[in-house]
Amino acid sequence: MPQAGQHEHSIERMSVTQTQAERTAASQCWSCKALARGGHFCVSCGKIQPLPRGTDYFAFFGLPQKVGLDEGAFEERFHKLSWKLHPDNFVRTGEYERSLSLERSSELNDAYRTLRDPLSRVEYLLEHLGIRKEGTTKQQAPPELLEEVFELNESLDELREAKAEGGDTANMRERLAAAEKNFQQKLDEVDAELAGLGREWDAALDAKADDAPKKAVLARMNEVLNRRSYIRNLVFGVQKELAEA
Amino acid sequence: MAYSDKVVEHYKNPRNVGSLDKNDPAVGTGLVGAPECGDVMKLQMKVNPETRVIEEAKFKTFGCGSAIASSSLATEWVKGKTVEEALSIKNTDIVRELALPPVKIHCSVLAEDAIKAALSDWKKKQGEAEAKPAEAAARH
Repeated sequence: MPQAGQHEHSIERMSVTQTQAERTAASQCWSCKALARGGHFCVSCGKIQPLPRGTDYFAFFGLPQKVGLDEGAFEERFHKLSWKLHPDNFVRTGEYERSLSLERSSELNDAYRTLRDPLSRVEYLLEHLGIRKEGTTKQQAPPELLEEVFELNESLDELREAKAEGGDTANMRERLAAAEKNFQQKLDEVDAELAGLGREWDAALDAKADDAPKKAVLARMNEVLNRRSYIRNLVFGVQKELAEA
Repeated sequence: MAYSDKVVEHYKNPRNVGSLDKNDPAVGTGLVGAPECGDVMKLQMKVNPETRVIEEAKFKTFGCGSAIASSSLATEWVKGKTVEEALSIKNTDIVRELALPPVKIHCSVLAEDAIKAALSDWKKKQGEAEAKPAEAAARH
């Protein structure tokens, strides 16, 4: 059974809570029947609108599906939206609008948290575009990396044992400190690689590139993200041991 | 989320932790990882080349409780089975036995991959051609 990520749940919630009004007038404002443009509010009468099916977090903020983000503008848009969608503004409206505002406000927070962090933004993009899906696509790391990860985990284990036996850990600490430096450096390299791929993706979007080269960039981003999870876990593990040693 | 009693049991009292000599021609080694959570799992099996029965199985897993329980259970199950029987173990069997919640299903997938990778390594050492490319996929 493929696992929907946290983010996908919220997207799903958008569509399963579809109401009668949504189904009958997907492209029309449910209230004034003007042509709705897929925004949060009707451009004509200003009433809150159900979001079209499959509206992603980027579209939620009126953003292109880019990795790069103008943080200032994003924050500003978030504050504006949270104010406009806030349930307090809907105490005097009908039940339908009130429920839309409630839903939308919680979605807004999910979307904000997801896109604000550069890493979760990339993860979301890959999940949303079907590149990264737990359990379905085989996500295998290169064997050399697995060997390396396994060996360092074993050294960590050795240190734990040495500590438990009250043995001399000075030597071990030195090894761990070296390992931490090494893996922190690897993490920095991976992050730089990811940032470069992000810029490549954004440029491909701007250039309206074909699907094939775009998919290739996404696939590479996914590989780098996978490598990053291992390395990040190692850095955490080493740091924890060093702190306790 | 709470772990099932069986997961806790395997986690607290893992079976067959350790390693076998990976240079032994009768030993197959499978090293797999789950990048989503950063887990790594090593599963080794010693197979009798005459009877094709798995006589010994060891594992070492760095990861969450479910990953440890899945690999512990896998070593328990493969022991005494033939290579072919072991290859028929599905991750869904592990999910059922350990009552793994949906978010932990990938741990069972990892254990199945590890079995396949280890036996594929053993077959390679025995000079057997790969039967199915899928079996080798976990190693690449």
